[in-house]
Amino acid sequence: MANNRKYNRSSPNTGGRFRRTFHRRKVCKFCADASLAIDYKDVRVLKYFTTERGKITPRRISGNCAKHQRQLTVAIKRARNIALLPYTTSIVR
Amino acid sequence: MRHYETVYIINPNLADEACAEVVTKFGTLVENNKGVVIRIDEWGKRDLAYNINKFNKGYYVLMQFCGEPGITVEVHRQLGLDDNILKFQTILLSQNADAEALKAAAEEEKAEKTAQPTETPASTEDEGKDGE
Repeated sequence: MANNRKYNRSSPNTGGRFRRTFHRRKVCKFCADASLAIDYKDVRVLKYFTTERGKITPRRISGNCAKHQRQLTVAIKRARNIALLPYTTSIVR
Repeated sequence: MRHYETVYIINPNLADEACAEVVTKFGTLVENNKGVVIRIDEWGKRDLAYNINKFNKGYYVLMQFCGEPGITVEVHRQLGLDDNILKFQTILLSQNADAEALKAAAEEEKAEKTAQPTETPASTEDEGKDGE
């Protein structure tokens, strides 16, 4: 117990109670790169922000800012509607 | 005028001529409803992310046009009536658009695209020289 507390204090990135085992990208990809536009027709960009099953990755994982995450969800939903992206990938029969 | 963008998917088993006929049909439909076609982009046959009417492929067409608010009602009605259309989606791009300026920009872009292929081989040659 004492050892654990000591470890937490010594590591600067842990910030107290939660100890994270790996670093996360905290910069919004769309803010960092202005040339990267959110477009429902651009499947390659959108696919990067979906899981293998086709779910939208949450902000806490992708690191997007609120504004761009909002735009992204709309774009992904539009792409799904026109069959560019899957709603789900459990087509195996 | 409002600026709209419609993507529609045509039956992939349709012959090329019949496909082109469908594309021109909706182009003229827009013009008949006091609209202006900005551009028509044919993406060609693509895999669908999920089956639509038991098709796993589709011929995608993107059409951008300008018109008064009522225009989409008629376009959607006709798209729905056409048996060769698997699915369609319209998005409002802007409320107050200048149709002629947009059309000019679209044509410019088209000209650039056709000019690009001649430029790109030259740049790759340069890269090769740097490597040597």
